[in-house]
This record gives sequence, C-alpha cells and structure tokens, in this order.
Amino acid sequence: MSAIPLTYYLILSAFLLCSGLLMVLIKKNAIFVLLGIELMLNAANLNLVAFSKFNPNLDGQIFAIFSVVVAAAEAAIALAILLNIYKSFNSSDLDDLNTMEY
Amino acid sequence: MEIAISNILFAFFSAMVVLPIIYMLITSNIIRAAFALVISLLGLAAIYVLLNAELMAVVQILIYAGGIIVLLLFGIMLTRRISEEGVTTEHRNLLLSGVIACLLMGALTWFILESGLQWTGDPVAIDQVERVGISFMTDYLLGFELIAFILLVALVGASYLAKRSGNI
Repeated sequence: MSAIPLTYYLILSAFLLCSGLLMVLIKKNAIFVLLGIELMLNAANLNLVAFSKFNPNLDGQIFAIFSVVVAAAEAAIALAILLNIYKSFNSSDLDDLNTMEY
Repeated sequence: MEIAISNILFAFFSAMVVLPIIYMLITSNIIRAAFALVISLLGLAAIYVLLNAELMAVVQILIYAGGIIVLLLFGIMLTRRISEEGVTTEHRNLLLSGVIACLLMGALTWFILESGLQWTGDPVAIDQVERVGISFMTDYLLGFELIAFILLVALVGASYLAKRSGNI
C-alpha cells in the first residue's frame, strides 16, 4: 500500500503550474511560451490523476485523457500559426509582434 | 520495507521532473530546453505509474514525449535559421515575474498543506484499461466522439495553415 501522501503530488503539481507560468512570463521566444503552456496543462493532468487514484469510477483519468488530446490539437494549431507569423514578421520573438498589419 | 522503496522512487522521479524544469528556466537555448522537457515528461509518466494509472502513463509517453515534442522541434527548426540566428533567446521582466510565480507557489503550497487532504476509499482495481474503455463507450460516448472530431478538425486546419505559409 502506498504511503505517499496526496499533498506531495499536489505540491509537485503546483510547482509545475508555477514554473510554467514563469516560463510564459520571462521568455522572449514564442516556442518557449508554448513549452510553458504544456507544463501548465501537465500540472492539471497530474492533479486529475492524483485525485482519481482511489476513485473506482476512474473519472479523473478519463478527463486527463481528454485534456491530453486537447493539448495535442492546441500544439499543432499553435505551431501552424507560428509558422505564418514567422513568414510575415521574419521573427518568432514576441516583442517583434507589435502590429496587426499583414 | 515496501513503504521506504515507494518513497525513494517518488523522490527520484520528482527530482527527474523538477530538475529539468529548473534547467529550462535558466537556459536560453531552445533545443536544450525541448530535450529537457522530454526528460521531465518521462519522469511525470513514472509518477503516473506510482499513482496506479498505467494507461495514463502510456498515453503520456506516446503523445507528449513522442508526438508533441517532435512537433515542437519541427517548430524550432522551421522558424529559425539556425546557422545565422542560432537557437538562443533572451529573458525579460525577470524580477516581477519571479515575484508573481513565487507568491503563487507559496500560496498554493500553504493552501495544500493547510487543507490536510488524505487518501480516502479503496484503491482502484487492476483492470482499469478495460474499465476506461467501457466508460468511453458508454458514459462518455458523446465526449469521446466530440474530442475525436475536434482532433480531426484541428489537424486538418493546422496542415492548411502550414501549407498556406509556403516554403520559408
């Protein structure tokens, strides 16, 4: 029987969320921002799976799998948009994207 | 004895998750950060195994460490002329962002420790892949079909967007 308390998993998840937020805030490159968003999505997944460990319905795992699929779709769309931005602005730094003109 | 072993495993895999993330925060090389994220996601899959969620661990390895990382590496290679610009980037707003993230981390840790949540109920049985499959085909059938359709539309839209951008 596992003796690791639930709170350890929750603190690990909180660390993932905060480091993802920090990465979104401090990095200049758009790809780094996407990496930070992936970390925050993983924090949500870890919470869902941890809370469903003793739940016989396994609802948490099912929601976590839905969330993984949405994350995959989000990464694909975001990178396609990023390619278009790079073609228009010749840069993937967020500080350079300061106009709506195409 | 078993308790000690599971605690050691949890500490090891937590370090495997946390240390690459700290490296990602301090490095400015995008490719190194993407490979550090691979290590971190594999550690997270091991944590899912410790949580008795084997299906979720396999999904994590297949989709995150296999799919999304390859997509991100393609994104890095296609949006950078590596020989000219290099793959490094810069930091900004370090002080304010650090203060915000540390405050959020402190508040969340305080609330989690204060709540004193405990495990309740009986552990999940071993046949959970079968039960997740049955749930997908009965209780969550509408959500399952919707998510499949969303994934299809997103991938077709992504390929259309990427094609329109032409060769760069």
